[in-house]
Amino acid sequence: MIRTHPGRRADGRRTALHSVVMISITAVIAVPLYYIVISTFKTPIDMAKSPLGLPGSWTFDNYVNVFRTSPVVRSFINTLIVTVVGVAFQVLIGSMAAYGMILRKGRLTAAVGTVLMVAFCIPMQSTLIPLYRMEASLNLVNTLQGLILIYLGSAIFCYFLIVGYMRKLPMSLLEAARIDGAGPFRIYWQIVLPLIRPILTTVVVFQTLSTWNDFMWPNVLLSSTENRTIVLQVYNAVGQFSTDWPSFMTVTVIALVPVFVFFMFCQKWIVSGLVAGSVKQ
Amino acid sequence: MTKVDVPPSTDAVQAVARTGARRPGRRAAGRNWAPTAFLLPIAAVFVVLYAVPLAETIYYSFTDFNGFSTDVNLVGLANYRTIFTDPSLLTGLGFTLAFALATTLLITMLAIPLAVVLNKKFFGRSLVRSIFFFVGVPSQVILGLVWQYIFSPLNSGALNSVLAKFGMDPVSWLADPQIARGCVVFVAVWAGVGWHAMLYLAYLQAIPADLYEQSQVDGASGRQQFFHITLPQLVPAVVVSSFLLITGGLRVYELPFAMTKGGPGYATNTITQSIILRGLAQSDYGVGSALAVLFTVACLAVILVQLRLAGIVSKRFA
Repeated sequence: MIRTHPGRRADGRRTALHSVVMISITAVIAVPLYYIVISTFKTPIDMAKSPLGLPGSWTFDNYVNVFRTSPVVRSFINTLIVTVVGVAFQVLIGSMAAYGMILRKGRLTAAVGTVLMVAFCIPMQSTLIPLYRMEASLNLVNTLQGLILIYLGSAIFCYFLIVGYMRKLPMSLLEAARIDGAGPFRIYWQIVLPLIRPILTTVVVFQTLSTWNDFMWPNVLLSSTENRTIVLQVYNAVGQFSTDWPSFMTVTVIALVPVFVFFMFCQKWIVSGLVAGSVKQ
Repeated sequence: MTKVDVPPSTDAVQAVARTGARRPGRRAAGRNWAPTAFLLPIAAVFVVLYAVPLAETIYYSFTDFNGFSTDVNLVGLANYRTIFTDPSLLTGLGFTLAFALATTLLITMLAIPLAVVLNKKFFGRSLVRSIFFFVGVPSQVILGLVWQYIFSPLNSGALNSVLAKFGMDPVSWLADPQIARGCVVFVAVWAGVGWHAMLYLAYLQAIPADLYEQSQVDGASGRQQFFHITLPQLVPAVVVSSFLLITGGLRVYELPFAMTKGGPGYATNTITQSIILRGLAQSDYGVGSALAVLFTVACLAVILVQLRLAGIVSKRFA
């Protein structure tokens, strides 16, 4: 007990040391973010002369230039459509399947569970070539619908996250609703879905992020400028603004702002998705 | 930062076992047709997006199909032999494996101490957490492209401009095979450390505090606590995180593609890039599919090892 006082002072010193060390390391980690943002306010010459310095004179021309010459708004809307529709269907299909699995235990559900587990272990790359051919034969190449169709595959991942949570629901509640005369669809829509809202939020946040960020499928499927997603747009901006680095960085900032805002609001669900997903993967 | 419940890592294993067991009480919960109806959409997803394409991949891998000709011949293992003789594919295979191993080791070694520090109270902690976490959130393509500019070989490249301040000559970072590989791994570690530290942090917060209090009473030092309490308690998290890193590493495509397009030469070529290039761009379906089959087998092998490990770990540490 006598040692409490000096001990606390040592603790304080250690805390201060932690702060100094960690904030310096973080500053280094964040340099690329600073570099992206600061470059958007420079002229190409200014950026070449001092890549990491502050702009000689702040300019907003890059933003004007990018919004005029690059379809960033269009690709932003495309990404929004694909992500919203895609994730909505993934979660719907996944949660329906999870509900179907807890409704009854039997040979059928046991078989389905095993089959889904196997499917879950198959990486997207293994089916890439036939899926591209299927899209081509359905005339879905270079369409947003085609991209959304591919993203439905993630419904299986959603199913695994949701079913674990659903198994912990009090079955007596569903039973009571059934006795009151509610059909399976009504129980699913009005009782089960509201009850599993925490896991639904987690799944929606996590899937939104991975659908929004995907590059492989848009790169393989989408060819025309007006269909590009935002990540594909950034990729194409390298060629479009070949020597105009500040304009490229501006496209990057425009693409990162929505992700940053989303991150600010949904950080805790990203973590819970990370943990829940890690257990199932 | 909210606390996150950490479910036991053997859930997946138990789930398989459990689906076999019947619970008579639940039988009455639904009418007979209802479960089937609810399972129909996912069954359609499975058949259309998984089963049929996988069967096709396996079939193509034994043929000389080129996407156009109707004259498809079975060629046995010829496509598989091509993979092990083609230098571009072999380098891609090698880099993918090296990338998976290097990122797994480096991120694990850095993320655990980072998580331990981020779990302590200090000024600016939430800002530090958020920045470490955020760099892992945007698309790897966007990050890779930005880093490509930072690694620019010109004097005006951000990194070379820093070197110049110290009187050093500019380095062609992404033009030398070995340096380029190192740069790709470095960026992957930069982006992944915070992400995985958040995972470890969630597990750290689930360690009962009285374990530390007891050891403090017994006079254990901070170092002793780390090695005798924190690390053993984190073993399940290590299994999970390293598994994510290995499977993610094997699937790597976007980051090297954005930074180097697989170059210089084939130095940073990846399996996924080869599947896309061979199978789609060059219409060599046979070789692309054979590569995809090998890739699937490798991923399944890793998953089996993981399930085994998870089983052992849960027995030993639960």
